[in-house]
Amino acid sequence: MKLNERSVAHYATCDSPPDKTGFLFKKGERNTAYHRRWFVLKGNMLFYFEERDSREPIGVIVLEGCTVELCESAEEFAFAIKFDCAKARVYKMAAENHAAMESWVKALSRASFDYMRLVVKELERQLEEIQEAAGAGCVGAGVGGLQARSKTSRRNQVARSRSGVSSSSSSLSSVSSSSSATNTSVPIAGQKSLQDEGQLISECSKENGITWSKPQAALANGSVETACVAWEACGDSGNNTVSDGVRAPPVPPRRRGASLESPVSPGTSCFSKLHDWYGKEVEELRVQWLQGQ
Amino acid sequence: MRFNEKELVSLSRQPSEKAAELGMRGPKKGDVVKKRLVKLVVNFLFYFRTDEEEPIGALLLEQCRVEKEDSQTFSIAFLDEAEKKYLFECDSEEQCGEWIDCIIKASYEFMRKNLIFYRTEIHRLTGKDPLEQYGISDETRFQVSNGLQLMTRDTSSL
Repeated sequence: MKLNERSVAHYATCDSPPDKTGFLFKKGERNTAYHRRWFVLKGNMLFYFEERDSREPIGVIVLEGCTVELCESAEEFAFAIKFDCAKARVYKMAAENHAAMESWVKALSRASFDYMRLVVKELERQLEEIQEAAGAGCVGAGVGGLQARSKTSRRNQVARSRSGVSSSSSSLSSVSSSSSATNTSVPIAGQKSLQDEGQLISECSKENGITWSKPQAALANGSVETACVAWEACGDSGNNTVSDGVRAPPVPPRRRGASLESPVSPGTSCFSKLHDWYGKEVEELRVQWLQGQ
Repeated sequence: MRFNEKELVSLSRQPSEKAAELGMRGPKKGDVVKKRLVKLVVNFLFYFRTDEEEPIGALLLEQCRVEKEDSQTFSIAFLDEAEKKYLFECDSEEQCGEWIDCIIKASYEFMRKNLIFYRTEIHRLTGKDPLEQYGISDETRFQVSNGLQLMTRDTSSL
């Protein structure tokens, strides 16, 4: 089967931000030794290079539909990327330490398009709820009500998101105890709750230093505010000013269900409308600028 | 460059966002229009000979530009070889518009930007970060600074 390989390789090295990079050992197919490779994860594509500064990847693993499991191996910190299809290859990998292994397993099991789509749909739904509550006019009571509501719905969401995640990529429990593991030295204990995971991540995130709180400050200063205003300004032909002065983007239409088979929901069109309006505005500015040259 | 072909073929059999028979022409000189079953699955566009089970090929839809060529035709070009266009002939202007829309929204990058937009909005309206409950607030790919590179359909023009 053909693939637009040149462009795919370009995607690996272009300046779009990778989701994760690092060295991992990968077990060869014919030569069954583990080879140290530089890995770059972008979306649902896991590229591997001979060296960190290699210009082109040796190969790519399309991660859609995979599960990631810790595995029994002579090699320490080993895990495997598995697929559901017939005669699928199992990619055996090993990290350099425990933290790296956990971090990679987590990142890879969430790399699928489906996972991303699930999260986006969930946020979209939440935003819809918030806008409807805000639109109902009772800001004070609404916020309190919202918090209460979001707590109960949070539990449902946690349950939902877990099962959603496990269908296309491994859930927490399968990460901790792979079906084939008889290896008693599996480092992660079986019953990890989402709370523990949160703790784990906040520990890991100390290394990476990128926290939500930084952009928060930016938000308070209004940098995103201005961006929103810009969108609304160019798109606002009277559609979405709410009477109490809270400026919200157009309310996405209510959708039923969260079918993974449907295209990006109509609700998303509010973002893409803004996206398009902004794009038009940029185009116009460009034309103006070019004419002025 | 190696890739896991079997798994990609298996992906081509998954339920698709959109599938239709279109006239497709490759990017090389001398390529002619051929009838193909074109199927959009996640961020891949697969193309089959009608009634064949295995796709002839796949296009990863990242870093690409989709353009309307005429009323019923659209093109896909990849940013590393922007002059080489894959052409797709549709049956109607409406169908053409739908495909363009779907393909633009099919990239992982587009979804990421969506997510960052919603995250930012929800945070703005409620003061809370909606990703916290999933324990994914700190993932690099969801950071605001990573996402807001607003663009027309093609980043290279900015």
